[in-house]
Amino acid sequence: MRLPSWRSAAAIASVLAVAAASFWWLTRPDPLPASAIPEHTADLANGEVLYHAGSCFACHKAPAGAPDPSLPTGGTPFKTPIGVFYPQNLTPDPETGLGRWSEADFMNAMTRGLAPEGRHYFPAFPYMAYRAMRLTDLLDLRAYLMSLPPVKAVHPPHTVPLLGLARRGVGLWKRIALARPPFNPGSEGSDAWKRGAYLVNAPGHCGECHTPKSWLMIEDLGRHLAGGPHPGGEGKVPSLRRLVAREKYEDASNLTLALQNGEELGYEDLSSGGMGAIQENLAKLPESDVRAIAEYLLSLK
Amino acid sequence: MSLTKRTLAYGAGLSIVVAGAWGAVFAADPAHQRHEAMEMVQESFKPLRAIAVKETPFDAAVVKKNATTILEKLKEAHGLFPEGSGGGETRAKAEIWSDRAGFDKAMKDAQAAATAMAAVTAEVDYVAAMKALGGSCKACHDKYRLPKE
Repeated sequence: MRLPSWRSAAAIASVLAVAAASFWWLTRPDPLPASAIPEHTADLANGEVLYHAGSCFACHKAPAGAPDPSLPTGGTPFKTPIGVFYPQNLTPDPETGLGRWSEADFMNAMTRGLAPEGRHYFPAFPYMAYRAMRLTDLLDLRAYLMSLPPVKAVHPPHTVPLLGLARRGVGLWKRIALARPPFNPGSEGSDAWKRGAYLVNAPGHCGECHTPKSWLMIEDLGRHLAGGPHPGGEGKVPSLRRLVAREKYEDASNLTLALQNGEELGYEDLSSGGMGAIQENLAKLPESDVRAIAEYLLSLK
Repeated sequence: MSLTKRTLAYGAGLSIVVAGAWGAVFAADPAHQRHEAMEMVQESFKPLRAIAVKETPFDAAVVKKNATTILEKLKEAHGLFPEGSGGGETRAKAEIWSDRAGFDKAMKDAQAAATAMAAVTAEVDYVAAMKALGGSCKACHDKYRLPKE
């Protein structure tokens, strides 16, 4: 066999260089312009409601044995089929938490899936749903997190194969996934229904588990909240459609009670598969919000 | 006996035989037996929940009766998790066997909570006992049971 000439070597090298440059260009971060951030006086109480509606604590809780187990210091392993993630410390510690994050940093994380230095976040962090949140709600949520006591918490790196390359590759995924418009409840329906739709689909990110995903790991909107395989890889997630017809709940009052009390009052479908932790957070919402969630869910055909 | 009646009689006889055969198959299956026991626990929870949400008035006799059934059925179910009875159709997670000590403790906690519930005679103690009992179910289910479709 003849060795490739310097000409063919140069040709191969330039093809690779073009491919690498295209990959780099296609996966570049697309941050929110600073001008998009509204002037807003933060409402801590609203921030706390959103913190519970999003069940932030369910994933960002401290690992067993941590000194303050009630704070979202992160670090509890979050197992997914592609690897194990160690969620971010959400307390305002300047070294390991959100202490040095600007408003723009927080908005970029929540709506564009970008870390302050521009790295892509894996969609295990559900910014696909959070990007549908109102910007003023995000500012309130940030203010609430910044009001928590700072805790220093160092976590291991995610155990995803080819972490650096995979992370950059998320940029390609975003080109497709984020091209879809964010959820919008529309203008039809009662105020409670719209509130429920917003809580379920934007901060609540219920679809992350309850909506099946396509091979591209994007929610299949034709089967919105229709249940499917558990994203953790074991078992199934129930459908949230036709809950009354399927005799899961009698009416909105019954579902409200179930969401507020869960299995403590014997509503046994609200434990297992991680739902127990979600229900504990929903129990902290104002009753009107839980009822709004119930009304919206019961409207799903 | 008309033809229709005879057909019905044969049909009924056949159904009993088939049902009996199925029953015999299931009777030997611990996964099925524990499911039945847990269904009874769930049934006994309903009147207790009705009291907790004030749909029905507090009645110590109703509490004692249902809490006692729950206790008995929990004890029965606890004995129905032999090694190798997971997988397939059951919602039992592998952790039951890989963390047997944790599972046994969760089951004992639930039985202790049911015992405490059966002893409640004053309405002021009721909701706390209910939450302790339901909470013990939740603690075990969060960890050792798969969700239902």
